[in-house]
Amino acid sequence: MSKPSLSWVVFRKELRETLRDKRVILGVVVSPLLVTPIILAAVFFFAGKKEIEKREATLSIGLVELAPFPEFANRLDGEDNLRIKQLESRDEAIEAIEERRIRAAIIVSSNARENFLSGGSADLEIVYNFANENSQVANGRMNRFLRNFNEESVKQRVASKDLPPSFTKPTEVTSTNIATSESTGSFVLGLFLPYLIVISAAFGGIQTAFDLCAGEKERSTMETLLVSPASRVQIVKGKLVTVFVISLIAALCAITGIVGPLILGIDFMKEQIGNQISIDLGSVFGLLLIVIPLALMTSSLLLVISSFARNQKEAQAYILPFISITLLPAMLSTIFGAETQLYTAFIPILNISLTMKQILGDLFDPLFFAISLGSSLLYAFIVMRIAAALFQRETILFRT
Amino acid sequence: MIIAENLTKTFRDRKRGLVRAVNRLSLNCEPGKIFGLLGANGAGKTTTLRMLATLLEPTEGSASIAGFDVKTNPEDARRNIGFLSGSTALYGRLTAREMIEYFGQLNGLSGSRLKSRVDNLIERLEIGEFQQGRCDKLSTGQKQRVSIARSIVHEPPVMIFDEPTSGLDVMTSQTIMGFIEECRSENLTVVFSTHIMSEVERLCDHVSVVHKGIVAAEGSVSALRDQTGEDSMESAFLKIVGAMEDIDE
Repeated sequence: MSKPSLSWVVFRKELRETLRDKRVILGVVVSPLLVTPIILAAVFFFAGKKEIEKREATLSIGLVELAPFPEFANRLDGEDNLRIKQLESRDEAIEAIEERRIRAAIIVSSNARENFLSGGSADLEIVYNFANENSQVANGRMNRFLRNFNEESVKQRVASKDLPPSFTKPTEVTSTNIATSESTGSFVLGLFLPYLIVISAAFGGIQTAFDLCAGEKERSTMETLLVSPASRVQIVKGKLVTVFVISLIAALCAITGIVGPLILGIDFMKEQIGNQISIDLGSVFGLLLIVIPLALMTSSLLLVISSFARNQKEAQAYILPFISITLLPAMLSTIFGAETQLYTAFIPILNISLTMKQILGDLFDPLFFAISLGSSLLYAFIVMRIAAALFQRETILFRT
Repeated sequence: MIIAENLTKTFRDRKRGLVRAVNRLSLNCEPGKIFGLLGANGAGKTTTLRMLATLLEPTEGSASIAGFDVKTNPEDARRNIGFLSGSTALYGRLTAREMIEYFGQLNGLSGSRLKSRVDNLIERLEIGEFQQGRCDKLSTGQKQRVSIARSIVHEPPVMIFDEPTSGLDVMTSQTIMGFIEECRSENLTVVFSTHIMSEVERLCDHVSVVHKGIVAAEGSVSALRDQTGEDSMESAFLKIVGAMEDIDE
């Protein structure tokens, strides 16, 4: 029977121990597979409910007529879900908005009716408070009402002049969306899924990485391990592969936690994303392939931090710069479009996020993919070398 | 079996500058004998043992373990070492059996050879009752027995003990000292560092008194007592170290 390599022996032991760590299981598997979908579902559910409430809520609107304008006032009175309160002055309206007795007010100027009837524009003013969410909603509702009022008034004016309805419509525009419901769903998914995968792959291995180096120093097991015949390179390889595998599991669970419920058909989540969510096997393979160098690089970075730290507490103190380094490019990917310039394929982490966006948005660019994959592998290799070099330094390993 | 010549280790310290933790230390340990390194805290004992165990690279000088140079052939040197220190460092989420198996595998054991060796140690050290218990749930005494099994699973010809009884209660310390005596009776080469005089008097065949990284005196326990004209090892040690302090001043 051939003997296993010592890196493999270290890896198997580290993985076994890691999978017995409840904190890791909770953070890497349970949370993304159960907690995240539940939180997302709750967010979507309450956001949708709030939106319906906003649309259907009865709002109190103040009406200040400096001169009577019955054509307008009667139309406003007939509007659904509005409670109109007659007020005397603009100042009274402002005071009522501030005291939240009304949400917004419309001020009708003294010559508004005169201008309106003579074919001119009636001067109206909406007063609202931007700092109050309900007042903003009322402002939006008033603007929609005024749009409808204007359209109806224009129609009446055109009809009174015996002009065709097309007189105010020099062009008739029809927009045709050629995207299938599946590709629309994938596009919307591409807006946030890459960000989520990057975060999961980068942060999924934190607990494990800290446990495997800083934790070992803290518990005095590092010395025991270093006295074994395994070389430091073999030890660091075994530990690195463990963190890498955990990071990949974290990314996979994140994908499954988001895409799974959508594919399985939670209707109101589907409505938020698009009609259909379907990711073909090729896209899944592409996502997995591009996440590998990312997980390798972040695992090595985490191992560098963990090797350098005296204990887990110190490692946690060093983690903030790491989070910033990872989050910033990942967040930038939400600003950059999927069709971006080629130089972005060289920017670590951003290139991975953009490649995922391209894969999900049916904009796969083989050259961009190849450069992203190649450069990311190179960066991962460089950080791995740094982690291995750090492991050779006795001043680092025996910092107490 | 362990030969060290002019071993020197210097560190760069931000506040103190260049620190010479071990200075031209030489020793020769033979099979079937217990070689004691006696010194106060910070004398250089742990640094010396770490150089012998290839954890630290000597700045100057040379050392070999079972014929393998610690600088040029560290893996083979380590293959011949069993290392046990006071901190009972076990992996908390492994069982006692898995812990012993892991170190057996790291030392090249596999298959039936590994199984029979682990079974043998579990029986010999009476670990059977708690072999499936996770290490973080074991008592201090049980942990020490697992640590001993872990250190000898590959049957090393050389045993290095770095203050192995530090922080342990009297009963557990007795188990460790009994184990060190067993190593001698099995003809292993044993190096043992301590600052506890009673342990030196009970165990050591040869003692090097280390002070500030230098060997201040060496010989058998009785020879050191005779040299200093003292009745106890403790008084002899204080006289030797005191003389070194006088020279320094």
